[in-house]
Amino acid sequence: MENLIIEATKCTPSVKFDAAHHTLGISGESYPENISEFYDPVFDWLKRYLGGLPEHQSVTANIDIIYFNSNTSKVLTDFFRMLEKSAAQGRQVVVNWCYDKENDIALEHGKDFREDAVALEFNLVQTSGRI
Amino acid sequence: MISELYEFKKYLNKESIFFCFSGPVSQELLVEIGAILKQKIKLEDAGNSTAIRVFSMVVEQAQNIIHYSAEKCPKQYPSKTGEEISIGIIAVGYENGHYFVLSGNMIEEEKVSRLQNKLTGLQKMNKAELKKHYKEQRKKGPDYGSRGAGLGFIDMAKKASQPLEFDFKKIDEKFSFFSSKTVI
Repeated sequence: MENLIIEATKCTPSVKFDAAHHTLGISGESYPENISEFYDPVFDWLKRYLGGLPEHQSVTANIDIIYFNSNTSKVLTDFFRMLEKSAAQGRQVVVNWCYDKENDIALEHGKDFREDAVALEFNLVQTSGRI
Repeated sequence: MISELYEFKKYLNKESIFFCFSGPVSQELLVEIGAILKQKIKLEDAGNSTAIRVFSMVVEQAQNIIHYSAEKCPKQYPSKTGEEISIGIIAVGYENGHYFVLSGNMIEEEKVSRLQNKLTGLQKMNKAELKKHYKEQRKKGPDYGSRGAGLGFIDMAKKASQPLEFDFKKIDEKFSFFSSKTVI
């Protein structure tokens, strides 16, 4: 399967989904005007990827978003729900939620997502000097 | 007006407002407003976390204007190209140790009561209730919608240090002017 690579803009994140290495990376800022225009292709790819994933394959998602708007929060909820389904089918899914040590909002969001995504190995990873 | 422009500036200063925009709002404009506000707030040593909070309020308010303002340009709709731009007001200020964001736009009269009920409901919630409500709302529905998931005001109420303030001013039979204030 081909990889999905989308370069970042000022209001949309960089997306690096690597099917061969089983890593899903999203980083940057996310507050597009039209949420589905940006995320529809991302979810299409993800559905195809997860649909064809071998049973005991492990997957790592590295999420490093400095700021996202409320609509993106819904998108991320759907994203983690899809990963949870995959985990429920026996795959090991690791999420590394990166947040800058000065960005308490990103940390708060990470904790909120972790509370709800119990089927995932959800790590909160502190970074510094990026905002 | 030219002789009153300075009076207008003094009025904004008196109201502790350091940024004010009134007119057509686009996503591109929002990106640039966000950039200059973040730069200003960081220069004031308010900290990155405060800058992100102010920025997040401005994003939600501006995108509400973009998606829901009933005042559009051109006035004759639909325009020849089918494109339209939403009109609204965004102001940012600092008083009593807190940044605040003001936002205003026209809305259709029939939408007033629903929005009023929603915002009154949010005003009554404490932080724990807001968090629970936010999580419930974002889980709803299989799709994330093309315009907005209706999470914007809940998100702002969560991040604000004081309850949301709002006002509806009836303009005529069809329209009201909706204003809101969030304090960071």
